[in-house]
Amino acid sequence: MADVQFTNARIFDGSGDLPFTGDVLVQGNRIARVTRTGHGARSLPVQGATTVDAAGAFLMPGMVEAHTHFSWNDQPSLDAIQRMPPEEHILWCAEVAKRYLDMGWTSCVGAAAAKPRLDVVIRNAINDGTIVGPRYLAASQEITVPGGLGDTTQPHLPQPEFAFGAVVSGSEEMRRCVRMFVKYGVDTLKINLSGESITGMASEMSQFTQAEIVTCVEEAKAWGKRVAAHARSTWSIKQCVNLGIEVIYHASFTDSETLDLLEAHKKEHFIAPGLAWLINTSHHASEWGLTPEVTRKMGYHRELEAAVESMKALRRRDVRILPGGDYGFAWTPHGTNAKDLEYFVKYVGMSTMEALLSATAWGGPMMRMGKGQLGHVREGYLADLLLIDGDPLADITVLQDKARILAVMKDGAFHRKPPVRAARTTRWAA
Amino acid sequence: MSNVLFTNVRILDGSGALPTPGSVLVQGNRIRSVGRSAAAVPSAGAIVIDGAGATLMPGMCEAHTHFSWNDAATLAGIQSMPLEEHVLWCAKVARRYLEAGFTSCVGAACAKPRLDVVTRNAINSGQIPGPRYLAASQEITVPGGLGDETLPHLPFPEFSFGVNVNSADEMRKAVRMFLKYGVDTIKLNLSGDNFTPDSPADTTWMSDAEVAAAMDEVRVRKKRGTAHARSAASVKQALRHGIDVIYHASYTDEESLDMLEAAKDRVFVAPGIAILYAMLHEAEAFGITHAKAVAMGYQHEWDAAIESLRAMHRRGIRVLPGGDYGFAFTPHCQNARDLEFFVKYLGMTPMEAIRSTTLYGGQIMMKGHELGVVKEGYLADLLLVDGDPLANLSILRDPKRLLAVMKDGEFAKMPEIESERAWGRAA
Repeated sequence: MADVQFTNARIFDGSGDLPFTGDVLVQGNRIARVTRTGHGARSLPVQGATTVDAAGAFLMPGMVEAHTHFSWNDQPSLDAIQRMPPEEHILWCAEVAKRYLDMGWTSCVGAAAAKPRLDVVIRNAINDGTIVGPRYLAASQEITVPGGLGDTTQPHLPQPEFAFGAVVSGSEEMRRCVRMFVKYGVDTLKINLSGESITGMASEMSQFTQAEIVTCVEEAKAWGKRVAAHARSTWSIKQCVNLGIEVIYHASFTDSETLDLLEAHKKEHFIAPGLAWLINTSHHASEWGLTPEVTRKMGYHRELEAAVESMKALRRRDVRILPGGDYGFAWTPHGTNAKDLEYFVKYVGMSTMEALLSATAWGGPMMRMGKGQLGHVREGYLADLLLIDGDPLADITVLQDKARILAVMKDGAFHRKPPVRAARTTRWAA
Repeated sequence: MSNVLFTNVRILDGSGALPTPGSVLVQGNRIRSVGRSAAAVPSAGAIVIDGAGATLMPGMCEAHTHFSWNDAATLAGIQSMPLEEHVLWCAKVARRYLEAGFTSCVGAACAKPRLDVVTRNAINSGQIPGPRYLAASQEITVPGGLGDETLPHLPFPEFSFGVNVNSADEMRKAVRMFLKYGVDTIKLNLSGDNFTPDSPADTTWMSDAEVAAAMDEVRVRKKRGTAHARSAASVKQALRHGIDVIYHASYTDEESLDMLEAAKDRVFVAPGIAILYAMLHEAEAFGITHAKAVAMGYQHEWDAAIESLRAMHRRGIRVLPGGDYGFAFTPHCQNARDLEFFVKYLGMTPMEAIRSTTLYGGQIMMKGHELGVVKEGYLADLLLVDGDPLANLSILRDPKRLLAVMKDGEFAKMPEIESERAWGRAA
């Protein structure tokens, strides 16, 4: 791995400060030096490093997607996702993993896979270099109850292979299920605590007994694993705080008691609302039969309003809200995930700075790699870096455009190299 | 896809003709023109690759490929890889073959039912990079034959490397299943193999009724049968039933050689001699000493195979490279070594060895009219090689000497740009 020196970059370092002009030296897989330049200041020349003249482009930490489903295959229903055979499904996951990295997501937090081992196998394949992809935390399938979100079996097709999630009923079945996923090697156990309106069980409903949830958390913690919850309902959010479920997905419906609880425990939790799902299901899914009238009746418009209010309140209380979530459906295709940052600005009232921090400085700790590793452009940090043509602080949507993401570096190696201007027409072979 | 002009190259066209200096223009996925002089050619907007005297030749074809063999030392070791990992392994190996200069591969059996089909489809849809590929079934075998890896206390079909059939009806059902999955070829293990001492290479296992049922189904759906046939009886059985792709053919007698010669316009033989050589001389690290390999019958088979293959070559029967790479002692992507073996042991000239992987390669891919030769109108599967393969065939398995690999008009491996080595500019 050759060392790389970025010169003349606008450096957004993830501290919350405005960007400055400077140079960044990457040695091995780490950031070795960050130097402010301009006004006559210059960084020392380095020997042997490839120099990338950023020409004023925006250099920022790689982004973290907090709620990723590589195995959702851009289909309009859970059943359609589940029908892909395992061989094709694993290749799909590999393709999507690369796409995330292409789009500047150098880290992703798996939030459930559609078949038992998909996430684990993809994470291992990324780590051993078989495929390219972001840093990845592997999730289990969604653990659910008969009739809950993720139980896609039908009365005449009761085979578990037909189910999108892992269906359990009772503490002992929960324990066996958690142990199975732990055996497979997941980082995260995903549990569906609340309903989901499109499946027929409303989002305000909560499907598990407390005893089952306790077993899940207990068993996961015994193995040193993390629990993440699909929690749209008020009761389920409270369960997350009370039982120590670290990652709370959605958190649409809150009351003042829930908000107080979350604020009191804000250092212990990450919230990823996945607003893209609510927004696009409510307004942009007509092509798949989900017209605004239909989704209003399902309750999605009301939920979107509630979720926006909840996120506004949580933002005021300094609870960490992270981007990502439920990309991989037909109307939320993979790779468009940076829309979440736009939604944070547009709907939640974040500044562009806050939105950028949510994907970087707050995303870093979400990856659980310890202090001083990810999320900042700072000496000693891992070299996950993006070079952006444009200023996301002025226009957050530039992050949605692959052409504006000039380069993606993960762990000190370019996944996408900056385009070389010279020598486009002649190549010398020998 | 932009057009590409290779200038200043030595064109080894793969037909058997001597190389000439010249230039080759690729438009879209085809070779548009082949200029046989050193004169400058108008580039007309094409990307120009100055070959600086390097050899430009057709992409190579591997005639007996097992993407799903995972460089393990035993069949059980291959089979114990879980499905998900196995698919990703195949995808990775497919890319490596392409980058190693094999732009076409003939699948010769896979280790789980759908691995080959899924890999082929993913290559064709552009999801993964890989060679042109003909997808095979698993090995179809009979209880106790090569590929039956079930154990008495673990009789489950998932434990088996191949699919076990027992009767013409079971054969028909197995073949139909694979045809349903979308294979291009059905692989039948007609003979045994010294790798499995209970069913050695000179034994023949399948009944004529079973083979006939398989080929019946193959013909109904216009697909192709291929045979693992080491024994003389199995070579004859394959030919009797219209199987055109014969793997190994180690043991022959006068009758089988005559039959092969009579069918030489349709028959391809891919002996896969690398594994015989490796078992005898290079497998000690995996517990197979030379003495053990001799005891397993490998020296006997090697001697017979060399004699058989020399006779076939003399009689003008097409002998192709490839075969059984993917074991610990024959790791993937050393496949071009077969060409060196052909020269050293079978009496081929280097030119004949090249032709066996180019001209004959196009033919075994069933695209002889448009693949395997550097010729106007042919598909642009090309290699740019630093050096002269006719003088030294071993450069074909040196990644550093393969400057560029093009498949279907697109670079799978780009020639390096001098200026990109030290300097990049972002905007």
